[in-house]
Amino acid sequence: MIFNSLVFVVFFAIVLILHSMPFSWRVKKINLLIASYIFYAAWNPPFVILLWLSTVVDWFAARGLAAAENPWKRRAWMMVSIVVSLGLLCYFKYGHFLLDNFAHMVSMAGFKYSPPKSSIILPIGISFYTFATMSYTLDIYLRRSAPARNFLDYALFVTFFPHLVAGPIMRPTELVPQFEVPHQATASQMRFGLALMTLGLFEKSVLADGFLGPVVDLVYNGRSAPGFIDAWMGTLAFSGQIFCDFAGYSITAIGAALCLGFALSDNFRFPYAAIGFTDFWRRWHITLSAWLRDYVYIPMGGNKRGNARTYFSLMATMLIGGLWHGASWTFVVWGGLHGLYLSVERMLRKPFRGYHPGPIAGAALGLLTFLFVNIAWVFFRAKTFPQAIVILRGMFGRNHHAEPILAAIYLITTTLIIGGLLLAHSLMRNKTLEMAIARLHPATLTALWTIMAFAVVIQHGESNGFIYFQF
Amino acid sequence: MASSTSSSSNMPPTATHERLPMGLRLTAADRPGVAQPVPERDIPHQPWGRISLVVVILVLLLSSLWEWQMRRLELVPGDMSSSYDTWAKLRREVDRRDVPLLLIGDSRILYDTDLDRVQQLTGIRPIQLGIAGGTGLLVLEDIADDPHFKGLAVVGMAETSFFDNRFTVVRTREAIELSKKESPSKRASYQIQRVIGPGLAMLEEDYGLSTLVAHLDPHWRPGVRGPYDNVWKIGQLAPDGSARLWQRLEHDKRLNDHARTVWFELFPPFPIDDKSIQEILVRSKTAVDKIRARGGDVVFLRPPSGLDLGKVEYGHIPRARGWDPLLAYTHTKGVHADDLANAQNLNLPESSHLSHACAIVFTDAYIRSVTQLTPMLHLKPDAPPPLSTPDCVPPSAASLDQAPGKVNR
Repeated sequence: MIFNSLVFVVFFAIVLILHSMPFSWRVKKINLLIASYIFYAAWNPPFVILLWLSTVVDWFAARGLAAAENPWKRRAWMMVSIVVSLGLLCYFKYGHFLLDNFAHMVSMAGFKYSPPKSSIILPIGISFYTFATMSYTLDIYLRRSAPARNFLDYALFVTFFPHLVAGPIMRPTELVPQFEVPHQATASQMRFGLALMTLGLFEKSVLADGFLGPVVDLVYNGRSAPGFIDAWMGTLAFSGQIFCDFAGYSITAIGAALCLGFALSDNFRFPYAAIGFTDFWRRWHITLSAWLRDYVYIPMGGNKRGNARTYFSLMATMLIGGLWHGASWTFVVWGGLHGLYLSVERMLRKPFRGYHPGPIAGAALGLLTFLFVNIAWVFFRAKTFPQAIVILRGMFGRNHHAEPILAAIYLITTTLIIGGLLLAHSLMRNKTLEMAIARLHPATLTALWTIMAFAVVIQHGESNGFIYFQF
Repeated sequence: MASSTSSSSNMPPTATHERLPMGLRLTAADRPGVAQPVPERDIPHQPWGRISLVVVILVLLLSSLWEWQMRRLELVPGDMSSSYDTWAKLRREVDRRDVPLLLIGDSRILYDTDLDRVQQLTGIRPIQLGIAGGTGLLVLEDIADDPHFKGLAVVGMAETSFFDNRFTVVRTREAIELSKKESPSKRASYQIQRVIGPGLAMLEEDYGLSTLVAHLDPHWRPGVRGPYDNVWKIGQLAPDGSARLWQRLEHDKRLNDHARTVWFELFPPFPIDDKSIQEILVRSKTAVDKIRARGGDVVFLRPPSGLDLGKVEYGHIPRARGWDPLLAYTHTKGVHADDLANAQNLNLPESSHLSHACAIVFTDAYIRSVTQLTPMLHLKPDAPPPLSTPDCVPPSAASLDQAPGKVNR
C-alpha cells in the first residue's frame, strides 16, 4: 500500500479510529500489528511470509545472543541472524545480479554459461526491514541494548507500517520503548501529524511525480543524446525528484506515526544546503548513513587504525551503501563516487584545518557540493553505463548537434522548483522544520497548508510508487 | 546497557566534532556507535485547532470550485478513462466466466462501439477490451493464450496501430500486465474510486494540475515536441467498459483541431516494410488458430477514419497491402467500414473517432454484418430496425463534410 493512494486514506482512517477506541494497550498494539501486515500484504500477500521469517529468526537469535555468555556461542547466534537476513536479501535482491556477473566472469575465462532464467520478484522494502531487524541483533551483540521484553513490541518495531517499506530505518532502541507504554496522540500531535503528511504528499505527488518526474524521464529515457541545457535540467530535476520522493515519504511516515502518538527519527535535514560531503551525509538519508556507520564503518576499524585503513573503510562503506540501493554496478559507482568525494574532503581537511568559510565562500562551497552530488546522481538514475556517459557528455557540453528535448515549460518549472528547493534548504540549514513552522504567522501557515493540500487534491492522477520502494 | 564500541574518538565518516547550531536537534548522524534513543518530535507552538479547521474549510471550498470548473469543461463524473484499472477488471472477467462476445483493439473499436446497441441487437453485452493508444494484436495474442475464452472476438484495427505497433505496444503491455499482476491495494483503490467517482469530475488525470501547466506551452522552445503535442483527453469510459468520444470533442473546434494535428504528428508517413507486415500476419494467424482450436472464432473490423487521416493511413498501407492480406492469410472474415452501406459519411469530429450518435449507427451496421459472417452471433428476433447515416448526421451536413469524395484506398 502506498501513502498516495485512495486505499491508504481509508486504511489510515480505520487505524486512527481503532487506535482511539478505549481498548487495552495490548489490544491496540495487536491492532497496529495486524494493520501493518495488511499494509504490507496489500502489495503482494505471499511476501508477508518473508517478513515473518525475518522477524521470528531475529527474535530467537537475539534471545540466544542475550542468554549466551560464551563468545563463540554469541558469534554463532549472530551468524544465524546475519546469514538468514542477508541470505534473503541476497536471494531476492541480488540473485540475478550475482548470477549474471558470475556468467560474465566465467565467459571471460573462456567457458560458456547461461544462467537459468528466473522470475524472482523483489519484495517491497526488503532492504529496509532487513536492516531494521539486523540492527536489533547487532545492538544486542554489541551490547548496546537488551532484547525486547515481549514479542509483540519487537514484532511491531519491525512491522510498524509508517516506516516498514521505506524507512526511516528505525533502531529497536528508538521504537520498542515507545511500544512498551501506552501512546495516544494529543489533538495538537494529530493536527501537526496531518500537516506533515500533507507536506510529504505535496512533495511526492505534486513536485516529484507531477512536475519533475516527466522531465527526468524525457532526458533519461529518451532516444536522443541531450545537449548541455537538457542534460543539466534532467539531472537537476532528478535531484529534486529523488529528494521530494524520498523526503516526502519520510515526512509522511513521520506524520502518520505522530497521528498515532509515536515519534520516528529524522531522515533528512535539508541536504542540498550541505557544505561538503561529510555534511551532506549528515543530512541525506540519515538513518541509512548512520546505520552503515555504526554497523559497517566502525566495526571495520573506523578512523582508529591509521589513514590507509580509514580510507579503505570509508570507500568500502560507501560501496556497500551504493549496492544497498540496487543490484547494479551503476549504484556501486554512485557509492564509489561519494566514497571518493568523502576521501578527498578528508585529505583536504588537514591543510585547511581551522578554516571556517564566510557566507559567500560557504554559499560557493555549498553550490560546489550540490554540483558534485548531481554528477553522482547521473549514475544513480541511469539504467546503464552508456546511458550515464551520454548524459555526462551532455552535461559537459560534449554532445555536439544535440537536438533540444525539453519544452520551455519544463525548463521553467524545473528551474522554479529546484531554485525554490535550494533556497528553502539554505534558509532552513540551521533550523528544524518545527522551529520554522513555530515562527510562521498562523495565517501564513494556514495559507501554505491549504495550498499544499489543494495542490495534492487537484494533482491526483495515477498513484506512483515511491522510488525507494525498489531499494 | 553500556556500549562496547561507543568511543568518541572512533569517528565515522558522517560525524563531526562541531557543536550543533542552536535550534537543531540531535539525530542518528550525531550519535555514532551508540544505541539510539527514542526520537524527539516537538510540536510547534501554533493554534493548530483553528488552523486545521480553516484549512479543511478552505480546501473543501476550493475543491468545490475546482469541481464546478471541471464540470463546466464538460468533464464527466465517474469517467474511468484515466487508468487501465477498468480494462484490467474486464480482462479478468474473461477468465472467470464464459464470454460469448469480446471486443478487442485500439481506441477506434473502443469509442466507435455502443455496447447498449450491441445488446439491443443480439441480447449479448460484450466485454470491451479496446485500449486507447493500444493495439489489438497483443490483446488478441493474450486472449489466444487464455484457455478460458471460447467465444467470438471482434478485433478492431487501424493500420497505424496494428501493423506499426512501435508506439502502441507499450500501453497494451502495461494494461495486460496490470490485469495479471494488479496488487490488492490497487484493486481496492479502484473500488473506492468507483464509489466516489460518480460524484466527482475532477478525478480526470488529463486535467491534473501538472498536466494543465504543461499544456500552457505552445512550442515556446523551437524544435521541441513538448507536452502540448501529447494526446489530450479523447474519450469517456464507464466502469462497465462502455466508452464514447468525449462529449466536448463533438463541438469544441479548438480541441478537435488539436487532436487532428496530434494524429498527423503521431502517425507520420511510416516506412513499414513487407517483412514487418508479414510478421504481424503470422502472429495474427497463430492467435486466430489457437482460438479456433478451442471452438472460438475471430472477425476483424476496420472502423472508419476521416478523409484527411484516411489519406495518410491508406497512403502507406492500402487495403491491398494490409487489410486484404490480413483476412486472406488468417482465413478470417472481416467487416470494413467502407463496405457498410448504411454507415457511410459518418461524423468523425477529430478525424479518428465517431461522434457518439454515429458510433451507434456504425455499431448497428457492423454487428448486423458480423452476424452474417459467423454462426457464433445472432440477431435477436425482436432486434430494432437498422440505422443509417441520417440517424446521426443531417443530410446537408453529410454532403458538405464528404464533398471531396472518397479516399483512394
